[in-house]
Amino acid sequence: MGLKSSFMVAKRSLWRRKTKNLSAILAVTLGVTLLVGIQITTNTLENAFLTSLLQNEGEVDFSVVNATTGGYLTAADIANISALVPNAVGIMPELTIDVPIMLGSQFDSSVELAGISTDFPEEFGTFYDWKTGDEIDIGDYLTDNTTILLSSKLAENLGLDKDVALPISVTTEFTNLTVSITVDPTTGNYTATPTYNTERVELTVVAIFDSSRPGIGSKYKMIMALEYVQQWRSLQDTTRETNCISSYLIALKTDHFTTEIDEDYLQEQVDLFEESIPEDTYSVESNRLTFFSVAEIVMTLLSTMLTALGLLVMVTGILLITNVQLMSVEDREFQTGVLRAVGENRRGIVQSILIENVFQGILGGMFGLIGGLAFGQAVALYLVELFGTGQHSVQPVVSQEIVILAVIVGVALGIITGILPALRASRVNIVDALRGIKSSFEEKSGRNLALLGILAVITGVIVLLYNGVLNEAYQPIWVSEGWNTLDEWRTILTGAGLLFSGAGIVLSRFISRTKALNITAIALWAAPVFLFAVAMGEWITDITGLATDILIIGVTEILVGSILIVAVNLPPVMNALRNLLVKMKGLKGVGQIAPALISSHKSRSTLTYAIFAVIMTLNVTVAILVPTNLSSVNQTGEDSRGVDLIVSLNKAEAQIANTSYVEELYKLDSHITDVIAFKTYSTTTDYTKFVAVNDPYSSEFNAQTDLLPIGYGEITSDQIRGNATDTYDSDWRYDFYLSSFPDSITQPLESDVSDEELLDMSKQAWDLFFNSSYTMAAYNVSLDALLSEDRDLSDVDLSGLEGYGGNELEGVEVLQDENGNVIENPVVFTDSFILPIGLQIWIPMNMSEYGVPVYQAFTVAGRLDSNRAGGFPLSSFSVGNILSEGDFDFVDFLGKIYLTEYWANQTNFLAEANGKTSTSRASNQYDCFLIKTTYDIEDQELESIAQTIEEFTNTNDDGYRLLASDNFYVASTTLLYSTVESTLEMTERVVSFLQIYVTFGLVIGAVGMAVISVRNVSERKREIGMMRAIGFPKTQVMISVLLELVVLGVIGLVIGIVNGVVISAGFANMQNATMIIPWSDLGVYLGFITLIALSAGAIPGWFASRIPPAEALRYVG
Amino acid sequence: MATKSIQKKHSVTQNEEPILVISGLHKRYSEGKSNEVHAIRGLDLTVRKGDMMAIMGPSGCGKTTLLNMIGHLDRRSEGNIVIDSIDTATLSDGKMTGFRRDKIGFIFQLFNLFPFLSAVENVETPLLLKGMKAGVAREQAKMVLRELGMGDRLYHLPSELSGGQQQRVAVARALITEPAIILGDEPTGDLDSTTSADVMNLFRRINKLNRQTLVLVTHNRWIAEQCDYIVHMTDGKISRVEQGPFTKEETQ
Repeated sequence: MGLKSSFMVAKRSLWRRKTKNLSAILAVTLGVTLLVGIQITTNTLENAFLTSLLQNEGEVDFSVVNATTGGYLTAADIANISALVPNAVGIMPELTIDVPIMLGSQFDSSVELAGISTDFPEEFGTFYDWKTGDEIDIGDYLTDNTTILLSSKLAENLGLDKDVALPISVTTEFTNLTVSITVDPTTGNYTATPTYNTERVELTVVAIFDSSRPGIGSKYKMIMALEYVQQWRSLQDTTRETNCISSYLIALKTDHFTTEIDEDYLQEQVDLFEESIPEDTYSVESNRLTFFSVAEIVMTLLSTMLTALGLLVMVTGILLITNVQLMSVEDREFQTGVLRAVGENRRGIVQSILIENVFQGILGGMFGLIGGLAFGQAVALYLVELFGTGQHSVQPVVSQEIVILAVIVGVALGIITGILPALRASRVNIVDALRGIKSSFEEKSGRNLALLGILAVITGVIVLLYNGVLNEAYQPIWVSEGWNTLDEWRTILTGAGLLFSGAGIVLSRFISRTKALNITAIALWAAPVFLFAVAMGEWITDITGLATDILIIGVTEILVGSILIVAVNLPPVMNALRNLLVKMKGLKGVGQIAPALISSHKSRSTLTYAIFAVIMTLNVTVAILVPTNLSSVNQTGEDSRGVDLIVSLNKAEAQIANTSYVEELYKLDSHITDVIAFKTYSTTTDYTKFVAVNDPYSSEFNAQTDLLPIGYGEITSDQIRGNATDTYDSDWRYDFYLSSFPDSITQPLESDVSDEELLDMSKQAWDLFFNSSYTMAAYNVSLDALLSEDRDLSDVDLSGLEGYGGNELEGVEVLQDENGNVIENPVVFTDSFILPIGLQIWIPMNMSEYGVPVYQAFTVAGRLDSNRAGGFPLSSFSVGNILSEGDFDFVDFLGKIYLTEYWANQTNFLAEANGKTSTSRASNQYDCFLIKTTYDIEDQELESIAQTIEEFTNTNDDGYRLLASDNFYVASTTLLYSTVESTLEMTERVVSFLQIYVTFGLVIGAVGMAVISVRNVSERKREIGMMRAIGFPKTQVMISVLLELVVLGVIGLVIGIVNGVVISAGFANMQNATMIIPWSDLGVYLGFITLIALSAGAIPGWFASRIPPAEALRYVG
Repeated sequence: MATKSIQKKHSVTQNEEPILVISGLHKRYSEGKSNEVHAIRGLDLTVRKGDMMAIMGPSGCGKTTLLNMIGHLDRRSEGNIVIDSIDTATLSDGKMTGFRRDKIGFIFQLFNLFPFLSAVENVETPLLLKGMKAGVAREQAKMVLRELGMGDRLYHLPSELSGGQQQRVAVARALITEPAIILGDEPTGDLDSTTSADVMNLFRRINKLNRQTLVLVTHNRWIAEQCDYIVHMTDGKISRVEQGPFTKEETQ
């Protein structure tokens, strides 16, 4: 019989078995929903993150600035630039200056005031009123040099809402430079003496524009008409030049928020422009390109995890579909036998089943697409909350490919999962099938299978030999060093997997399959368990190479191994359960039936609990992730070294007779035991304070790429050591941790050094830092690609954020001068992750008489541990902040460089090295204060101390403002614990995002169980009839149905808990965290599984128990 | 109690009290619909304890339906069935299940053994349902199977047994609770003549030894003639009753 008859059979079978087909379609639907949903979610997440970064760019693709750092362009440049960018759809000039602003007690120390032309090109978009949503013509508002518009985001930060009555005024300061020139009467030489005054100005906010809407408004925080900003800027300029433009903004297209510009096209246009510009005239900056790279870094981390999870959740979908298809075939063995008996060949049977599957696949694919879109939409809404970027920016990303993919995958899933059952159907023994004998499990393997096994064994051995034999970069597995890198483990896991699977298959030809598969299963499970539970953290010192593939291989082997172990041992386990149940009153009949049913339908039972095993493994892993991470930050009290509170002032404290800010703080609350004052300095846009990463005196120095806007701080011995005299004196004042150390400190190789060891090493490092005669060699390390012209952030090494990383300088060459002498420099410490240890840098100390910076070379010798206490307290940077606030400050992102007291005093931004300037300060003028109290770090009382400090500093004509006779002081207090909390909150948010995935898996499991239960009952009608005929009460029939599901669910849960704990142990080891198992969550899972099983089985079970036995006995499938 | 072996002898006594009384029994399928089938049409029947009765008739005359009504596998539309002096109409579903378990044994043409349970497990299940201890139930099941010549097939699955062997297991399961009535629906329909004869001998032995009532539905005249009398059915009614004994020469 040919294809036609297969079609006929498939058609009838589809039509007559509607309910059963529906369950198969439902299974495919769920699988495709998962696939589409996960794809849409990952794309949407990436897009949401990118959008949150790019939103600040408005419609600007790149900007053109003066090639000389700190230089300006003029109005005349527009003609040249227009000619150089023929593809631009819009060009507009912009002048920005950073100013502090204050509104009542709300203060922002550095807000960008942008001057733009009131008739800017419409290609850049439109401003919309925050309250009414109407378009705003800024020309109507920006009429003088004190009139500004605020962005809604800044307004919110300043505590304003939509209903605020306008106009309101905010205070700012502009720097006014005056130069007095004196002529030496004898020599005739001129001497110029600059004087910096701050001019305090009240600005009037006349309107607030909506910065959450796509368009130009999202780019700015505060705008003023260009000509007026030019006026204010000219105050800083001795020549009072007003014709200044900081950059020309270029838009290559409009509506970036609807359709983002193609990254490659933008790069190409930027490259073209760069090639065509005359030397030393212009330079190009494209934040958009930089943000593309930032998004890529973060997304690589996230999508790795999402992809791994998504793949595993997908497995559950596939298991479910296979299960349902298998049930269909088993259910129809009798009909298949009849078909074969009346002359249908095997091919015809396979064909008709596959035709059915294609149909189910198409329908399932289409429904799945709808489900996936709904899932994606729901997740997108959640993302809006996660990133807080406004609903305009987060829309589910549905690519055309996904729509096509969904249907193709649906069909593919239908076919692939149907092949095994179809083949099984085609091989039914006609006589057995007609007699109703279910095909039984063969005890031993055939020859072909054994050959396949031998092949797997050989491949496995070759893969294992790859380590150290075929690839000499890896150590062979017979030496202990062969087990200590993740790359080596990749081959160990793959090789062992193949070897033991093959061995099991070969052995099963000679010994019973149960024994053979037990060996395989245990080996498959044990290898990755060993990796997670023992090797990670103990032997593997370098975890940076943890790639998705190792995770997937490891988790897959753990899952397959554990599922197989239970599968081959199902009969004895079920026998034990039976023996237990038949002893229980009222359950004797159930005990006789349910366990026997489970072990007799081995494939089906295995597939059912496998679904739960996979889902539960993921759920348990994710559930353990949160408390484990919590425990790693619960050390906060220890890590903060006693500091509870940080206070930062918007500018250095005032010089007040007979008192200081520190003394005033002590007076505020008797629980304050120690106040450690620091000086910090943020370079913002003043390029003369930027750090040079190449010798600024050499001819190769490139001002465009070799200067970095990193901030500075001073750390004195008194601040850290207090009265302690050396490393071993326990009386340190603030002995916080370092994550990278000077080369002279002996560092252990392992990454899992104890806290005590780290602290000891840190103290030694501090001793070196404060030793004025100490110098360290400069090493041949290079700065990351961050500084190259294309600013590709994707190569930046973020490992500095992850704590101690071992001896980073081992095997790195030291730098020598032309005479062959090792270059040695005084040292600085840093909390910037981009500066590698051993790097030589040049810091501008003060200004020469010619007005150019005088540079001093240093070696970067230590890195403050940004993990401890939620990051070094003086640094405001944290990934959590960026993600949670969507606010990316490049300068904060880069961190700070810390100088000793001696070198800080050589500068005129932390001291008054060569006279007072606008940035210089006296030796006792601090701006950052770390406060220790008698309270615990989590104590609620700290909140009130923080409030007292803010009230004291931020109230007009009172407290500190009164003492300093200056109403422009603002203190911001941060509870150290809250910084940890915010990191934690972010972790929780990310985890809750992962939870969506795994929960979706759980839903699949639940629906799957309902499908399986319905199918089970309908297929077993005859057996149920028998049960009723020989006297099974309805309750016991129902309990039998339920018990089967509960038992399978609980098996899945137990496997999940064991696997989840093992995998989490690996992650905890990697993070040096104590693993905490949330037993209550696991209890909830147990409850959930039981509930699913009960509710999934209840309705079909109830119906089953009510089928009249006579009718049930007539059932033939 | 099943602890008594079936070898304990009881002679069949005539004029015993009735064990089964059916009066005015009707069964309609798809009631109220236009395509309603009236399978049993006002049937009256009395069976005495220890009787061995055969029901014969053309296909579709209502034999199996009647048997299902007696065994309470199906619900009656109208009429009364009294078994062992108990009017089953008054029993709740739960009581009815217990009644079926204790008073009635079933033997089906297709054996209807649980395919996933071994021979001994199939047989012991009704005892477990009665609440008997697992160990005791297992021993009794083994004993009954051994008596039926299945001692060397105790732990085989039904799929590993021949048709005759499967039917012996089914018989053992029906007998194990010592029910008042054993109902057989074409119990030898799937068996060859030699095996059928074996099974019928077994039935006769049980009937004689334990005084258990047997009601068999069959198409096979020879099988029917092994019984005490034959009830003939046509169109859902009893058309005539043939009283035995029947001679071997006539029937074989």
